[in-house]
Amino acid sequence: MTREIGINQLKRRDFLKAGLVFGAGAAGLAAGYAAVPDAFARAVYAAKKEGVANDNILVMIQLAGGNDGLRTVVPLADPALHDLRPKLSGSMVSQALPVNTQWGLNHNLGAIKGLWDKGKVAIVQGVGYPNPTFSHFESIRIWETGDPTRRQVDGWLGRTLATAYDSNGHPLTGCACGTTNVPGALRDLQATMTVIQNQKTFGFSGGSEVEAAVGALYKGTPGIYGALFDTAMATATETISTLRTSAATYHPMADYSDKVKLVYSSKNQLAAALQLAAELIVTGTGVKLLHVTLGGFDTHYTELNRHDDLMGYLDSAVGAFYQDLAAHGMADKVLIATWSEFGRRPKENASGGTDHGAAAPLLLIGNPVKGGLYGEAPSLTSLDKTGNLPYSVDFRSVYQEILAGHLGAGSNQILGASFDRIPFLSAPVAAV
Amino acid sequence: MRGGGGLNGGMSVAPSREKVAAIDLPVRRGLTRRQALAAALAAGVGVGAVRLLGGSMQGIGRPSNGTMDWISPLGSEGARVMQMLRRTSFGYTAAQLESALSEGFKKTVDRLLETKPVEPPVLAAAGTPGGRFSVALLQQWWLDHILSTATPFGERMTLFWHGHFTSDYRKVGDENFMYWQNLTWRRMSMTDLRSMLIQVTSDPAMLKYLDLAQSTGQSPNENYSRELMELFTMGAGNFTETDVRQSAKALAGWQLPQPDSYATVVVDKANNVTRKYPVYAAQKAGVLNPKRAFSGSVTFLGKSGPLDTQGVIDRILAQPSTAVYIASKVARHFVTAQPDAAYVKSLADTFRRSKYDMKTLMHAVFTSPQFNAGQSYRTLVKTPTEFMLHAGQALGAPNLSKLVAGAGSGMGQSLFDPPDVNGWPTNDSWISSNTVVERVNFVTAVMNQVKKSIPSSANAPQTHLDGVLSAQTAKLLNQATDDRARWFITLASPEFQLK
Repeated sequence: MTREIGINQLKRRDFLKAGLVFGAGAAGLAAGYAAVPDAFARAVYAAKKEGVANDNILVMIQLAGGNDGLRTVVPLADPALHDLRPKLSGSMVSQALPVNTQWGLNHNLGAIKGLWDKGKVAIVQGVGYPNPTFSHFESIRIWETGDPTRRQVDGWLGRTLATAYDSNGHPLTGCACGTTNVPGALRDLQATMTVIQNQKTFGFSGGSEVEAAVGALYKGTPGIYGALFDTAMATATETISTLRTSAATYHPMADYSDKVKLVYSSKNQLAAALQLAAELIVTGTGVKLLHVTLGGFDTHYTELNRHDDLMGYLDSAVGAFYQDLAAHGMADKVLIATWSEFGRRPKENASGGTDHGAAAPLLLIGNPVKGGLYGEAPSLTSLDKTGNLPYSVDFRSVYQEILAGHLGAGSNQILGASFDRIPFLSAPVAAV
Repeated sequence: MRGGGGLNGGMSVAPSREKVAAIDLPVRRGLTRRQALAAALAAGVGVGAVRLLGGSMQGIGRPSNGTMDWISPLGSEGARVMQMLRRTSFGYTAAQLESALSEGFKKTVDRLLETKPVEPPVLAAAGTPGGRFSVALLQQWWLDHILSTATPFGERMTLFWHGHFTSDYRKVGDENFMYWQNLTWRRMSMTDLRSMLIQVTSDPAMLKYLDLAQSTGQSPNENYSRELMELFTMGAGNFTETDVRQSAKALAGWQLPQPDSYATVVVDKANNVTRKYPVYAAQKAGVLNPKRAFSGSVTFLGKSGPLDTQGVIDRILAQPSTAVYIASKVARHFVTAQPDAAYVKSLADTFRRSKYDMKTLMHAVFTSPQFNAGQSYRTLVKTPTEFMLHAGQALGAPNLSKLVAGAGSGMGQSLFDPPDVNGWPTNDSWISSNTVVERVNFVTAVMNQVKKSIPSSANAPQTHLDGVLSAQTAKLLNQATDDRARWFITLASPEFQLK
């Protein structure tokens, strides 16, 4: 099943016609350096691939800092909760939005609860990996690379771009919105992706003359960063031109607001980032893999209000995003998934917060989802020796289902192994 | 782009006495780079870069390893001095460069290491009750000082420590504390790690940022304990979760300094809402409250017994991983993106033998053969702040601090506002489609700020790019017809982003 979006086909054909093949990427590899080969070098890979399997889209939302799973999906009837969390458990149970008798969503997740009621939300509980690290940066890297052994350097979405898609020449196939740097999940030596912090300012303030000059300037740059610079500039100039067209035709059909109460350290404008994601999706830019981040989840201290605010912020942004996609008739194509480097310790600390934990639930949202609870519900009376929740679902099982069932990509090649599938999709595509 | 320089095609090559690149490498539309490579090699010309010395092109050589690389100019004293300045300061004016060139490399190193950082002027807003003033004031204050100080290396080290022992104004929520932290980091920047770590631990902004002010012996908060080992000293993998929990106990009990008084401030005029905010007459460190501390025995990094904060620090300093971790980070910031293990080990050994003296470590770094090795040339990417200030100073642009304070976030660096507790990333992480556009836009903005008084561009490729240019940069500079266009190409070039 191959349903191509026209713009991709056209560009690849142009690309192949030009017959541009050589190996700056290999030079980067030889230097032991994770540089990205320039746009022309990648044409060699384009020749190996025959287009995308379907036109499904994935949006990953990173909840950075370690999201408290117990305040996201609240245990309503676990008698151990109050003892572990005398300060934090107070109203969280009584206010929670029940999804059954045992579990409820955080009271600020009203829009997501509305989607749950329509069968469009899957909650996968107890997600983690063996021998968890409690370091933010090590665990982020594990989730980004999909490799708890820490040998893999490329991101799982970057590898997906490099192996399952032909992103060469159409850099919007993978895009990080609302940030300035390439997220680790999208990094790959052989993949092209775009990073756009703010659409309104993404462009050359010096106008077309400057754009032409720097386009000529960033070509054939030597050195270990040469290919990286050249690719970044080529990607930027092409994306800026695409966005000019998109911005002219896109009319948001939802109320995206970042004017909610600012939560400390949540620097990203999640709603604005998701609005840009919606624009890229509904205007047919060929975008496939999107990544956005909401920070501020490292709640060691006075977690109560902070976490509730973050939940409310997430909920309003995701709610608007879904509504916009649905109004544009694109909701059937888009799977939204949350991830976070770890959950938090079930036992609260003296600062009214929680320290770094282990397993936690993930949310999968959208029309492709078969709503319900998946995985093994964690028990607060069977904690591991570090006082944390043991995992029951390897996070790569979730990746595998997304890759194989939603994107139709060869998950074994990307993840390096096969994991148990979790049937959270309503109509998984046939594996390639 | 202002001015009629004409940056894109169609302009004629300007005849010029200080002609930039006399050679026309066969890299043009319609040719693949492989064809260009073949043609260039046949003609006996190095493809990687065009090198200019003394106004004419010299030193063309074949790339030795088959990859396209910059041709290192570091065989010359002048190039070594310029690289030294790029890596230890925030760019230079023509006069500063001249003075360093006449001093020579060795004397420049001695001067940098032996001159104590000049104290910045007092920030006018400091002392505002509760530190309730805009972070932009703090950013501009620091940038103004960086631009005017006689000791920019002290500022470069202050920025290094700001990224290492990092804190952000959002979580700290008190700009007075952030201001104090900046003053402390500068004063301790070239001292020894042991005395630095006690100042870091008791720093009021740090006490808030990593929650140590909330931690008690009875119910310790692990945040500071973990990052002290993982990010500040030993690095991940060199300690256990038990060590984190045990040192969290040993470190507990610190509190914010007692305010001298409180001021009542109206926070909402319409509803007449007032709040009390702390007032400090002078900078203070945090205080240890024995009642909140842990008094029992802990087992930490292999030894058991009662342990206080100094004991935790000393035990961390007794671990070989600490010197290796710091030396590796310094090497990646000042020498090369991927320092080899033997080099890091030799720096670490020197550092540890000197009782963790930063001056000794930095001296070893700057005088090591690796610092001026061809393989290290252009292996570091300028941070946004370095890039912006270097560009502004090269042009002699006025009112730089305001422009720079506002422009950094799109490139990924806003002072006092690091992305997370790991501080800012380095090198390749600064390069993305978003950041290259923002860097170019900064050049446009800073050139607009210079207006008519733009300096001569005659020596710009020499003094700011070492005369080592890519074929494309050389070609565009050659085609440019006026100072504005040549400055634009110089500052927006990939070469200028490197140090």
